[in-house]
Amino acid sequence: MLPFIKEAVTGLFSKPSTEAYPFKPVEAPAGYRGRIVFHADQCISCGMCERVCAGGAITTHSEETEEGTLVTRRFFLGSCTFCGHCAAFCVKHAIELSQDYHMVARTEEELVVSGSYLKKKPAKKAEAACAAPEESTVKPREDGLPVNDTSKCVYCTLCAKKCPAGALTVDRKAKTWVLDEDKCIACGTCHDVCPKKAIIM
Amino acid sequence: MFKKLIDNSAARSPWLFHINAGSCNGCDIELVALLTPRYDVERLGFKLAGTPRHADIVVVTGPVTAQSKDRVLRTIAQVPDPKVIVTLGSCPRSCNVFRGSYSVVGPLDKYVPIDVSIAGCTPKPEAIIDGLALATQILKEKRGAK
Repeated sequence: MLPFIKEAVTGLFSKPSTEAYPFKPVEAPAGYRGRIVFHADQCISCGMCERVCAGGAITTHSEETEEGTLVTRRFFLGSCTFCGHCAAFCVKHAIELSQDYHMVARTEEELVVSGSYLKKKPAKKAEAACAAPEESTVKPREDGLPVNDTSKCVYCTLCAKKCPAGALTVDRKAKTWVLDEDKCIACGTCHDVCPKKAIIM
Repeated sequence: MFKKLIDNSAARSPWLFHINAGSCNGCDIELVALLTPRYDVERLGFKLAGTPRHADIVVVTGPVTAQSKDRVLRTIAQVPDPKVIVTLGSCPRSCNVFRGSYSVVGPLDKYVPIDVSIAGCTPKPEAIIDGLALATQILKEKRGAK
């Protein structure tokens, strides 16, 4: 009898175990994966999110306009598993899963998160490319070995990876490009693979 | 005289009927969690009904599988009008990851109109409470229109 009385008395004065939810807002715990937030301005349209999405919730629609291609990425939360793969695979961190869990809708459109951005036509890029050769001040070496134009180099390390002789050492963090002249066979592979055309031969 | 009282009480206490249309059980567990002392939706008047004939709100979980389709539609047909159909989780809305399976014939809106969809996989119990509150509101609108 006594233990029950003790229980009843403590129960009488303790806080109720029921959450007063609709009257008192509750925040999702840290790390909760809720409504998707898409930062369209950071997207580079690599399409990785679409490829890794298990539920097929992500679709892309592109429209040709005068200024360029208007790309619209659409996230349908009604088909989402909130696994966070899209956010994890996004190299530009353009996708974020927020703490917002209030995803209640009457229509399908209310469950859609979308963002669009303009992919400009390469006309401007072509202009830049035309102007680039004039800017280049680095002159090719007379002995035929490669030279790096440091103003263009992005230190992607692609040249070092492709070098058949292992003559190049590129450090992405320290931003150094070092050529071992004894090892270099002047094959021109680095010049060919350079995405920025920074290597001059 | 009693009609008004009954209508008022019924509007404040909608009864739920839960149909599992081939769910993975995640959403079902969250719905059951609502009835536990921590969330306790019975304080808001919601009650799990034992038969579809007593229900006002139908909560469907799971992508509609070929085996369950017939039973789901028969059960929903037994719920008296006006009724509100609530989909819990992503599956009944779009089949989610089960889309394209040989045994899945969903999503649910191919067969019956969906009134409220609660997104999440699975939704947080608080989100389900939100959804049910919206369902109650829709039920009121439907009853008023009748």
